[in-house]
Amino acid sequence: MTLRGLWHRLRSTIRLGRFDDDLADEMQLHVELRAEKLRREGLSPDEAARVAQRQFGRRLAVREHSRDAGTFVWLDALRQDIRYALRTLRRSPGFTAAAVVTLALGIGANTTMFSVMNATVLQRPPYPDPERLATLWRIQTKDPENINIVSWPNFHDWRERSRTFASLAILDSAGRGYNLTGASEPEQVPGVRVTASFFTVLGVAPMLGRTFTVDEEQPGADRVVVLSYGLWKRRYGADPTIVGRTIPIDSRPHVVVGVMPESFRFRLGSERELWVPAGWTKGDQDRTANSFVAIGRLRSDAALAQAQSELDTIGRALADEYPVENGGTSVRVVPLVDVGTARLRSTLLLMLGIVGFVLLIACANVANLLLARAASRARELGIRSALGAGRGRIVRQLLTESVVLACAGGATGLLLAYSGTRALLPLLPANLRNVPFRTVDRIPIDGGVLAFTSAVALGCGLLFGLAPALASFRSSAPRLQEGGRGFTGDSKGRLRYTLVASEIALTLVVLAGAAVMVVSVARLLRVDPGLDPHNVLVLEMSAPQEDLYNGPPGNPRLCQGLREQVGSVPGVVAVSAIAHLPLSGAGAGRGVTIENQPDPGPRNQPGAGYTVACPDLLKTLGITLAAGREFTVRDTVDAPGVVLVNETFARRHWPTQEAVGKRFKIGRYDRDAPWLTIVGVFKDIRHNGLDTAPVPSFIRPYPQAGWPFISIVVKTSSAPETFIAPVKRALTVIESERPVSAVRTMEDVVGRSVSSRRFPMLLLSGFAVLALVLAAVGIAGVVGYSVVQRTPEIGVRIALGAQRRDVLRLILGHSLAWTLGGIAVGVGGAIGLLRLLGSLLYDVKAGDPFVLGAVSAILVGVALAASYVPARRAMRVDAVTALRQS
Amino acid sequence: MTRSPDRDDIPPGTLEVLILKTLTRHDRLHGFEIAESIQARSDDVLTVEEGSLYPALQRLLGKGWISDTWGRTPENRRARYYRVTAAGRRQLDRELERYHRVARAIARVLLPA
Repeated sequence: MTLRGLWHRLRSTIRLGRFDDDLADEMQLHVELRAEKLRREGLSPDEAARVAQRQFGRRLAVREHSRDAGTFVWLDALRQDIRYALRTLRRSPGFTAAAVVTLALGIGANTTMFSVMNATVLQRPPYPDPERLATLWRIQTKDPENINIVSWPNFHDWRERSRTFASLAILDSAGRGYNLTGASEPEQVPGVRVTASFFTVLGVAPMLGRTFTVDEEQPGADRVVVLSYGLWKRRYGADPTIVGRTIPIDSRPHVVVGVMPESFRFRLGSERELWVPAGWTKGDQDRTANSFVAIGRLRSDAALAQAQSELDTIGRALADEYPVENGGTSVRVVPLVDVGTARLRSTLLLMLGIVGFVLLIACANVANLLLARAASRARELGIRSALGAGRGRIVRQLLTESVVLACAGGATGLLLAYSGTRALLPLLPANLRNVPFRTVDRIPIDGGVLAFTSAVALGCGLLFGLAPALASFRSSAPRLQEGGRGFTGDSKGRLRYTLVASEIALTLVVLAGAAVMVVSVARLLRVDPGLDPHNVLVLEMSAPQEDLYNGPPGNPRLCQGLREQVGSVPGVVAVSAIAHLPLSGAGAGRGVTIENQPDPGPRNQPGAGYTVACPDLLKTLGITLAAGREFTVRDTVDAPGVVLVNETFARRHWPTQEAVGKRFKIGRYDRDAPWLTIVGVFKDIRHNGLDTAPVPSFIRPYPQAGWPFISIVVKTSSAPETFIAPVKRALTVIESERPVSAVRTMEDVVGRSVSSRRFPMLLLSGFAVLALVLAAVGIAGVVGYSVVQRTPEIGVRIALGAQRRDVLRLILGHSLAWTLGGIAVGVGGAIGLLRLLGSLLYDVKAGDPFVLGAVSAILVGVALAASYVPARRAMRVDAVTALRQS
Repeated sequence: MTRSPDRDDIPPGTLEVLILKTLTRHDRLHGFEIAESIQARSDDVLTVEEGSLYPALQRLLGKGWISDTWGRTPENRRARYYRVTAAGRRQLDRELERYHRVARAIARVLLPA
């Protein structure tokens, strides 16, 4: 069928009246012209008219056949069905409202959940052909799932040898804040150093100016910068002449060479607003200095598998060529779109599955409403059937009604989802906000969401419509003959109670899911972090230095300045600074060599968590000193190298000896590095998360080691928020060109560290409440309906001497039996399904008997309460009226 | 029916081809003209049942092989005129080719050698 034909049929269907009129007109013309011809051939006018008319045959049949050929008959029938359905639904507004609200809650919750997924892990990174982008990681061949950042020399060799990538680039994995000074207020802006090929790989051209050249990667030539559109607009007033201008970054002049377009966003860790060339440092030349993320764009004729097998070969060769640095390692290629999304995706899918249960509960409720209604519509359907409506026609009509209901529910649900997503946005945990390479600053209701909602609504309509449609058809014919109602057949509502039991089972799973998450988060928050977050203010500062990750610091007097300026603010108890704040997600590691121990070889090199800190760290963060001393102001760059280690580190290397006084150095056995003396041992803290067991770790004094960014921590005597302004003022005395950013309290940091669990917990709790309400409404509805149905039976019982108590027991007992059945199924389902929560659970099992017992008890309580209301009505049944009624 | 014994109904499925062919001979025709033209061309052997003509026209419209416009007859009567479209011409070519192939084959079977 051509487009023209399709259009003809659509137009004809939509304007069917016009279609018929046109057809009648041209047939009339035909008859008249034929009559004229017959007259010319000699027939009398009457005779001619009669013959012409007769020759046309049955006009109705012609119209039907023309309609079949020139319109979409099914479309017209559908339109009629919909119009009929709307009329029917309008006639029972109470039923319609109940069904639409129920569905809207279910569909709204599902749409909200899907929108979150759509906005985060399903979002396409904002670069052309993102499917051709890949990331490259260093792996240990024995642990290929664990991907690691790479060093520049290794990357350099990959790039030289690879043929499957059109271009490859690396960027500093940490990035940092860059201090912008000059005309306006100093500002710290997240940026990252990149190779010149970075923009080529991502495939985005600058909006103004140019990006970097390879020459600019060299130190000395690297004082150039590319700005993001947002930064250009915000700080430089969208100045079109900015290219070529010099701006101070970290107090050094940089020439702006380009501005990226608005659509170009780059988020890894945080949203980057400026890019500077790599400017290779001495430390970068070290093949073991793994501090870069590698990205590449595949050639259009290369598949991912080809790239992987090519880099397998390259990785093996490099392991052979550099056995000390690369022994036991290889390269893994991961599609850019999959980086950091696998676990999130499975968590969100699980949430989507559980909220799907809520929708099933809603569907069961609506199915029950429809069943109750179908019973009262049995006569109408019986009459239609007797008048010749085919079986299919009636089922279709009933299904249309369900789908119309579902669509109304879907549309309302979409409105709920619109406000739901807006409410959820500020609650999104860091792991969902920081999906690599995506910017999640809104949760849009876009085409994908609309398609999802439409599919879900349509599916629901068919699901809850089909059973009642078929059931009502089966029963329609006999009902017509019977005329009255007896208490035969399905008077106990087996189908309806089965639906109720299913609702109970589904609710139990959702409820148990929420409960184990609540228990997990509660138990997690009870874990002792090993530090005291109370009354601690945290401020981030970017403190760049010549050799980025290996001191000495840019400002060797920072710690002293903190003590003098911040420490003298009234109410400040202690002040310190630490490069990697515990529980913030930040972390670094170093390989170590213990003095007086044999060379363990490159593959068994012991490693440890690493950071640098100012004096008074333990005092400020409330960490317990187990032995020795803290850093003091005397641990300067010229003093002997000292370290603090945690108890795990001490126990690991000196299980039977005192660790204080022992020495170790950073790096391999044969590396010429200074020995560091342990001056203190502190009790373990949960640095990497409340749920993560401590690993060996050590701290060096900031003046001896340095780090390009640092968290300033301030212990205050009262609410830390009130100290923000005075502390900031004190800091400008020390570092006027290094503004602070991200001011938080340590309690926030601890709270946020559990946000990846708290968010699913909140969602599941919301779903659980919704499920419970829907199930309660469903139970009350079904019990109420069955009381009405059983009124004659109850009347007989009362007439035969049953007490009201007995009636109550009858009704409640019946409902309790089905509830218990549902609970039994639900418990099984919960044990099976909630295991998928896996790593989200902490210190509690999916099948925790206490949790399951508690939620079962809640459900029994809710079911009994929901049944009690209609059961009381049954108690008041008057025997005489009831018997007369039947 | 005023059907003389020497007149024949049109075999099913053929009517569409006849309509398309007839329309290629003219710029535009209305229903009665199409019926008359087929009858005249066939020397009154083929009669077009009005009962099949209009459904057939709708079928052709629905396939996009003809288009319709409302106009006035020379006697100033309102009439729906039909035109063959480019897709219709292509379809006609396909049908004619098939028709000739089948006709030749049937002839080979039926005619004495």
